[in-house]
Amino acid sequence: MRIILSEDNDILRKSLSFFLESKGFTVDQFSDGREALDAIEANNYDLILTDINMPGISGMEITQYVRQTLGSNIPIIIFTSSGVEQTELDSFDLGANEFIAKPVSPAVLLVRINKLLKTRV
Amino acid sequence: MNNPEQPLPHNELGRLAALKRYNILDSLPEHAFDDATKLVSYICGVPIAHISFIDENRQWFKSEIGIGVSEVPRDISFCRYTIMESEIVEIGDTYLNERFKNDPNVVGGFNVRFYAGVPLTTPDGFNIGTICAIDHVSKKLNKNQRNALSIIAKHVITQLELATKNIELDAQKKIAERAVLAKDSFLANMSHEIRTPLNAITGFTDLMAQTRLDPIQRDYIDNMQIAEENLLLIVNDILDLSKIQSGNLAIDAQTFNLKSTLKHVYDLLKIKVPENVEFNLFLDADLPEMVVGDQGRLNQILVNLTGNALKFTEEGEVTVSVKKVTETNNHYSLKFSVKDTGIGISEDKLNTIFERFTQAEENTTRRFGGTGLGLNIVKQLIELQNSEIHVKSKQGRGSEFFFTLTYKKADEIETPEAPLLGSNLGKLKILLCEDNVLNQKLVKSVIYNFGFELDIAENGEVGIDLLSKNKYDLVLMDLQMPVKDGYQTTQYIRKELSLNIPIIAMTAHSLVGEQERCYEEGMNAYVPKPFKQAVLLEAIQTVMSKDFTVAKKRKVDLSFLEEMACGDPGFIKEMIALFVDKIPNEVVLLSEAFHKNDNDTVKRLSHNMKSSFDIFMLTDLSNYLSIIEEEAKFGAFTTETLDKINSIYCGIDEVVKILKGQQ
Repeated sequence: MRIILSEDNDILRKSLSFFLESKGFTVDQFSDGREALDAIEANNYDLILTDINMPGISGMEITQYVRQTLGSNIPIIIFTSSGVEQTELDSFDLGANEFIAKPVSPAVLLVRINKLLKTRV
Repeated sequence: MNNPEQPLPHNELGRLAALKRYNILDSLPEHAFDDATKLVSYICGVPIAHISFIDENRQWFKSEIGIGVSEVPRDISFCRYTIMESEIVEIGDTYLNERFKNDPNVVGGFNVRFYAGVPLTTPDGFNIGTICAIDHVSKKLNKNQRNALSIIAKHVITQLELATKNIELDAQKKIAERAVLAKDSFLANMSHEIRTPLNAITGFTDLMAQTRLDPIQRDYIDNMQIAEENLLLIVNDILDLSKIQSGNLAIDAQTFNLKSTLKHVYDLLKIKVPENVEFNLFLDADLPEMVVGDQGRLNQILVNLTGNALKFTEEGEVTVSVKKVTETNNHYSLKFSVKDTGIGISEDKLNTIFERFTQAEENTTRRFGGTGLGLNIVKQLIELQNSEIHVKSKQGRGSEFFFTLTYKKADEIETPEAPLLGSNLGKLKILLCEDNVLNQKLVKSVIYNFGFELDIAENGEVGIDLLSKNKYDLVLMDLQMPVKDGYQTTQYIRKELSLNIPIIAMTAHSLVGEQERCYEEGMNAYVPKPFKQAVLLEAIQTVMSKDFTVAKKRKVDLSFLEEMACGDPGFIKEMIALFVDKIPNEVVLLSEAFHKNDNDTVKRLSHNMKSSFDIFMLTDLSNYLSIIEEEAKFGAFTTETLDKINSIYCGIDEVVKILKGQQ
């Protein structure tokens, strides 16, 4: 299973990658939203894991592009430290499948990833 | 009035304006007018009488007998001719009058056979209406009747004038009342505004007085201090007075210790007693210990009265005595008396001494000083407590001021309230590093009030010595000290002794950048001098609070990282290295951006750093970042933002030290 992870905080991104790789996933990690989106267009991922606030473009824009322009229904998980309810509503509006508030619990993240990948198969 | 035959007075427009000014048209009946109408009817012996006013279109009856309508059209009114005249108009028999003999109200209608009308003439000469006597039979008024009718007409106008003047007066009164209110609140605001910088001037003069001065400078400073004290008294008096006047002064109902309050007043004034005067405080044996009431105001009243007594007494005695007068189930009535053997007050002045700005003698102010407001304030403060002040005095023999106040009995269980009690912190042991003896005393008494223990070091060197011998909970650090100043001492405590004991800086400088330097050197809080007790206590509470205690004994919790790393020690090390490498630099960038007011960078950095802090479970610091991010978003930093950034700075410093130890 190939996951693309887009997060600009080094420590969090590396930790999440390490964690997911330990659980048997292949993870491509990006700290820039634009580069992440390019990678999504070029490759065939099984799941997108993205932060909202990033340099380049935001996780919201990535989600919008994937759903509307690429017309893909690849599972998308958005995580953010924003405590604003509207952010969560907007995320689902744009077509995200899951919304996780930071700090992200690795165990919870794993459960949600697995759930999304299973329903897809 | 379109009929060209209708008569119009030559001053019709002015006349109508004059009528409007009285606001009488369509008003309710009034006794004064009805009585006048009755008089007309009695005096002239007629069944119909009225007082009426004529506007553009109608004759309106303010008062009438025998008519039964409130108005008639002007063009059928007899009186439209009367207001053209300056004197009484009398028509003995309308049948014989060319003008009226065919009038509808003569041949029918009201059947007017006799008519006598006097114009109602305003003081400026306008005929606004009439007062009339009417009958169904012909008659002739005698001279007295005609005179009486004219006199009543004058009275009616006087009545109108009075009513108008009353309305005007009422309006003026309201304006005046509003002005007084505005003045009082202006005074209250101004005296408050003046007091704030005055406090600073006093504080700094006090500080200057503690520096090395030559005799001339010393003399100048002494004079300044006396002047400041007087000015503060005046401003406080005005503030109190305006508060009372504007109804903003509330009487407290708090439990307090009556005896110790009285003792306190006595001790306070003991120092002002002239050499040849004996100063006594007599307390009734069965005086209650605790009562419920306004301690501050009792204090103020007694200090004022006793201060006066001491001021005006050159020899003999001044005695303050308090007696219990009555006691009910719920209340005590206590009589307070301040008696002196001073210059006394002459009998003709006794009534006015409680008035504002009045003193017994014109030259009192010059001889004895004072604002002339003190006794007025005392009087009003006592009245606000539902009582009154009395005075007995004879010139040259002395005076006695006395009053009775009723206090509620204190609930036995209720303990006196001491709002500034740091008891929730337990018995803190505090070290003060301070070279100035007066400041040492001040801090000592304040800290004891809080219920803490205090050791004093007169410079940093001694402080370090004490710190290495004893255990303290926190340090209060003056910045300017001989031998080792506050910065050097803090450096030594942090670097050499490796103690993370909270340090609160205390300084009179309040220089720009000084606060930052304190935090950089590792101090935890900052209290400017002259300090307010509440501010100091708050600083102590802040540094002793949970967040700080967490910070003090910070243990880095790696469980979250361990979960991420699935127990891989190599990866954990790698992340710790990344943290140690990156984060301190980011904190510096955050601080820089904050000082440059670069809100966007503050927002971006605090947002980004949050994730890093969360992985190392630095919840308290992460929360600070959330708040800072939010504040940056709205561009609304508060005074506490800098404190938070400094806390992050110190916190990360500590975390990095701990993490380095684990590497």
